Amino acid sequence: MSNQALALLILLFPAAGALILAGRGWRAPRFVTVIVGPGVVWLSFLATATLFLNKASGDFTYWTWIKSGAFDVPFGLLVDHLSIFMCFVITGVGGLIVTYSVGYMEHEDGPSYARFFTYMDIFVFSMLLLVLADNFVFLIVGWAMVGLSSYLLIGFWYQRRSAVVAARKAFVMNVIGDVGMILGTFVLFASYHAVTFATVFRLGCPSPQLLVGCRTPGDSGPLELAALLLLVGAVAKSAQLPLHTWLPDAMEGPTPVSALIHAATMVTAGVYLVGRMHPIYDVAVYAHGAVAIIGAVTALFAATIAIVQVDIKRVLAYSTMSQIGYMFLAVGIGAYSAGFFHLLSHAFFKALLFMAAGNVIHAMHDEQDMRKYGGLWTDMRLTSITFLVGSLSLVGVVPFVGFFSKEQILGLAFSKPGDSTVLVLWLIGFATALITGFYTGRMWWLSFWGKPSPDRPVEHPHAPPLVMMVPVTILAVLATVGGLAMTPTSSFLESAVGRIPWEEMTVAVVVGVVTMLAAAALFAGAMRMRPWTAFVPWAQRLLEHKYYFDEIYDAVFVRPLDWVAGFAFRDVERPVIDAAVVDTGRLTRWTSVEASRNLQTGYFRNYALVFVVGVVAIGGGLVIMRALS
Amino acid sequence: MGTLDIGGSQLDATWFLLLSAVLFSLGAAGVLVRRNPLVILISIELMLNAGNLALVTFSRQLQNIEGQLFALMSMTVAAAEAVVGLAILVDIFRVRDAEDVDDLSQLKG
Repeated sequence: MSNQALALLILLFPAAGALILAGRGWRAPRFVTVIVGPGVVWLSFLATATLFLNKASGDFTYWTWIKSGAFDVPFGLLVDHLSIFMCFVITGVGGLIVTYSVGYMEHEDGPSYARFFTYMDIFVFSMLLLVLADNFVFLIVGWAMVGLSSYLLIGFWYQRRSAVVAARKAFVMNVIGDVGMILGTFVLFASYHAVTFATVFRLGCPSPQLLVGCRTPGDSGPLELAALLLLVGAVAKSAQLPLHTWLPDAMEGPTPVSALIHAATMVTAGVYLVGRMHPIYDVAVYAHGAVAIIGAVTALFAATIAIVQVDIKRVLAYSTMSQIGYMFLAVGIGAYSAGFFHLLSHAFFKALLFMAAGNVIHAMHDEQDMRKYGGLWTDMRLTSITFLVGSLSLVGVVPFVGFFSKEQILGLAFSKPGDSTVLVLWLIGFATALITGFYTGRMWWLSFWGKPSPDRPVEHPHAPPLVMMVPVTILAVLATVGGLAMTPTSSFLESAVGRIPWEEMTVAVVVGVVTMLAAAALFAGAMRMRPWTAFVPWAQRLLEHKYYFDEIYDAVFVRPLDWVAGFAFRDVERPVIDAAVVDTGRLTRWTSVEASRNLQTGYFRNYALVFVVGVVAIGGGLVIMRALS
Repeated sequence: MGTLDIGGSQLDATWFLLLSAVLFSLGAAGVLVRRNPLVILISIELMLNAGNLALVTFSRQLQNIEGQLFALMSMTVAAAEAVVGLAILVDIFRVRDAEDVDDLSQLKG
């Protein structure tokens, strides 16, 4: 089969799965859903693997989608190392998570069960479209569709008000990002009259050597603007400051959703975007710097909040924001392959953490408060071990995969020549690594060690079913040995996103090891659980309220908008618009019913008389006019 | 106004047009005042034939054959119209006993 057809198949499998489940799934027996839902993702995975083994690359155009003057959108898929890498993450980790959901969602009734897998397949399709797009229009379509499926899945339990509100919040935040993306595309189209990546990059960046060239901030006004607008999209999708507030609330969705969408794939789309647009960001130095600064600040910011959270999924959500901050930092300083390697390792260990947490939540009858767990080590041994593997990887302890990726980012930030700003960012990243060790240790210690909490909802939690345990174990193995993939992954990616010119990796390794050892020490220290925040109550309050971001947004945006909407409803809609419509209707009814009904007698002779009189009048009028003239 | 040669004698065209007008008015009055649907149909035929007479008269007067052709066509149409009208009437008589068109006023507002 040709590579061109294979690339299309990657997209078609999840689309077909979603269509089958949406059309007939809820009426078909449950095993159909169980087979189709995860099966199509694995088929996509096979197609991706075949493409990879074929060493396929190219910009495949299937047909012209829209053509109107200079606006020419081909239906094209871009297959290169970056998109194959992303497809591997989406279909591989995604396949494991969708398989895991077979067990996690078992208590749903038939229609809801099929609905869940329909949404999941829609999501996988949209995300694959996003990463395979070869033009901005497809990118925006995929970008908006992952936002839609995220909305649908956060609000999956639509009977719960909090879930519906969280879904709406996520959607609104994402739409802010979508608007940024679309405006950015407008700017690029206005400047270069093209929407395909290849053309825009060729025109925007005159150097044919896209990898390291074009570092001179020359005449890059439109590019700078477009890069900033695209960054708005990336920030909203990846839950970076200041558009981050939706991600912790998104934990209202089922846990596999949090693992797939809000940890492993969708929220990393911002990193993918910056990586894919690297020829633009290489020219637009200010926007590029903004990426790194936003990433570093978010990393620290989110890590501090995670210290005081008590909901296990919220801790993981803030930790996700923090780790994506690292990725932004990496791509922001030009260390693209390091950023993408961290994306991969984060997909491994964060999906693992979410799924292991899902095992616990499943066993605890949907209790998510860590303070009510305690002592799960004795009852859920395997889950505890896998969670520990994920935690160590998140902290960055040798030899787990998180060590290699985080070390690479921090090391490269430390050794970037001649830029003191980056050194500050490195310091922030370093501090974040320490805090990461602390909150992760707290999370593991609180949930799995110690005595069972008196409030624990289940005395003897049952072990998770095999279909849930196997994907978790596979990810645990990957998170353990994944570090071995560092060098091949990086060299695989470098052909797509370019390599960085500076490489004093000896410093990097030393710095990295020191960082991680310090973090590990804190991790161990956290196990004693000294409530340090009790000594500084104001800090505790500040962190528990997440730096009051929700309150500020509420006061600045939500309440005024509520007020405007209420005013418009009470004082504009009702008395002006409604009245105009209702009175127009009333007038029409009066003229039609009251005034004209008497004209329609139903007697044939009346109509004929009117007709004759009319003819006589017209004919007579004509004769008279003739006579007079 | 010219005169027409009818069977050797000369007659003014005005007489024919006057006859046509009288016939037309009779037909129109019949349509308006009569209540039996069949008589109304006959009155309509009368109006049509008055029109035909006027057409033929002008045709002769202006020595233009098209008017006579048009009269033939008008007769054809009249036949078709009579068929449709009678068919409707038969259908109405099937479902109800209506001797008076005023009984058929269900569609009043």
